[in-house]
Amino acid sequence: LSNNAHEKWGSRIGLILAMAGNAVGLGNFLRFPRQAAANGGGSFMITYFIALLLLGIPLMWIEWGVGRHGGHYRKGHIPGMLAALWRHPAAKYLGVVGMVIPLTVMIYYTYIESWTLAFSFFSLFKDYWGHTTQEGMIGYLTSFQGFGNAREHAAWTPYAFFTVTLAINIWVLSRGVSGGIEKLAKIGMPTLFIFAVVLAVVVLLQPERLGSPAEGLQFIYNPDFSRVDEASVWLASAGQIFFTLSVGMGSLQAYASYLSRKDDIALNGIATAATNETAEVVLGGSIAIPAAVTFFGVAGAMAIAQSGSFNLGFATMPVVFQQLPLGNILGFMWFSLLFFAGITSSVAMLTPITAFFREEFGFRRETVSWALGAICFVFGLMHIVWLQYGFLDEWDYWAGTFGLVVLATIEVILFVWVYKPENMWRELHEGADIKIPQIFKFIMTYVTPAYLLFILVWWGVSDAIPILQMDKSAGGGELTEEMKPFILISRGVIVLFTIAFIILIRMAWKRNGYDDRKGFVMVDRSGEGGVA
Amino acid sequence: MSTGSIVFMVLSWAIVLSLVTWSYSRVLKKKAHHDPDSIGPASPPQRGAAEGKVPPPVDH
Repeated sequence: LSNNAHEKWGSRIGLILAMAGNAVGLGNFLRFPRQAAANGGGSFMITYFIALLLLGIPLMWIEWGVGRHGGHYRKGHIPGMLAALWRHPAAKYLGVVGMVIPLTVMIYYTYIESWTLAFSFFSLFKDYWGHTTQEGMIGYLTSFQGFGNAREHAAWTPYAFFTVTLAINIWVLSRGVSGGIEKLAKIGMPTLFIFAVVLAVVVLLQPERLGSPAEGLQFIYNPDFSRVDEASVWLASAGQIFFTLSVGMGSLQAYASYLSRKDDIALNGIATAATNETAEVVLGGSIAIPAAVTFFGVAGAMAIAQSGSFNLGFATMPVVFQQLPLGNILGFMWFSLLFFAGITSSVAMLTPITAFFREEFGFRRETVSWALGAICFVFGLMHIVWLQYGFLDEWDYWAGTFGLVVLATIEVILFVWVYKPENMWRELHEGADIKIPQIFKFIMTYVTPAYLLFILVWWGVSDAIPILQMDKSAGGGELTEEMKPFILISRGVIVLFTIAFIILIRMAWKRNGYDDRKGFVMVDRSGEGGVA
Repeated sequence: MSTGSIVFMVLSWAIVLSLVTWSYSRVLKKKAHHDPDSIGPASPPQRGAAEGKVPPPVDH
């Protein structure tokens, strides 16, 4: 396999684990329990499963389909995939969303991921031992992040962990699909599941203290159906399904582009979604909230859940570990599982961008990977320095929240409506090991696009416009005058990325002589691509 | 924990675990490909079949 040849997956299980690793992230263990607890428990779970059926699973199939279809033309990036679906000059420029989102999310996500790496070591060596209150641990966390009153760490600490985390990501990426990403998934995913099962068992077997683990589960699964008629609950569950499956990111499509026509995507897609849901519903719901309720009581856990996901993971759980036998080992396992959940997602984010530079400009994989790593490093420093000014929250909202819905809506419209439902259906069934129930053709054609447009409009009116006008903060906290210049810089960088990718896409099309109206050359995939 | 919560939790877990068990049992079975075109996995579909037409010749 030459350096610029199209890559392939080593095995089917490796592919599914890599896809599931892409989907399973920090949100499975931190965001899900908090959302479930804050949105009525039972009401949330009902709307959550409906969203999984009407939005999550259809989008999972659609993204696998868009990706593999792009792969027929050796396009592992969103501009190319959209241009392959819609022979129109505008198609490639719509794909710029699918380049900006993974790059921006990768940068701040890797920074958050570095906290988990740092805290796994801090746990192992009992560095935060002695901070036995929630407030004390929040002070420890903000000290590590470089602000707040406490001075627990040297100033270089967050920079060092960010650099190491980013270097590991880029090294894995530079090793390629089967040599790096697949091997990471084969190690990371089983480790993650083993650690999560051990932690769930330890938490659920705890004796009653201020509360009990059973009360923690009651907190999540309380059948409070009174809130099923609230739009906010439906949006919260749809949002959680969206984030947890990593749809609208461009990375699932990039992974699927390395498949051939003979490879199944229907069964693989559902297996990926099911793996993610197991990590989220069964394991994610059995660790953090039950632990918080057991050690802080129901009222305390409610206050923690409302204070944010990071406080739950980085302040509450360390306080809990300090009260358990072998707490340092359990803490190490908790933060390691978060690290593996994070890294198996973050390595996926740069895959479509790497594919763009390799396929369109002929760069070597290693060159592209390390060059992108340098860009991520430079812009990642901004997040470390300006974290307290809402710099990260701004990117998380525009790229990691609203942007995902925008990209998903674009690709659903192009793959289902422009490419035509019959072609979409045929594409999903090429090489398929299962027959997707016919009802999903109707769901994908009408229900999923309507669901997405509803979310897009609702979020646009209720959040995007007020945040854009700086009437409210992207992070949900207080918006001060001091933060506004940094928010503008934050948005400026996203605009800069957008302009840069528009220029690069234009250069790529010109350089390769693509004719938007004629489409790309279909690559003969026999003997290359796919699963070995 | 109330009976309602237990029922709800068991139901939620059952849905997810059934889905994962079913999908992995199918993945590991290595069953023959579903074959909507009646061409068979040994004979790859014709180029451009997914689009309903054969794409134009190479011109760049």
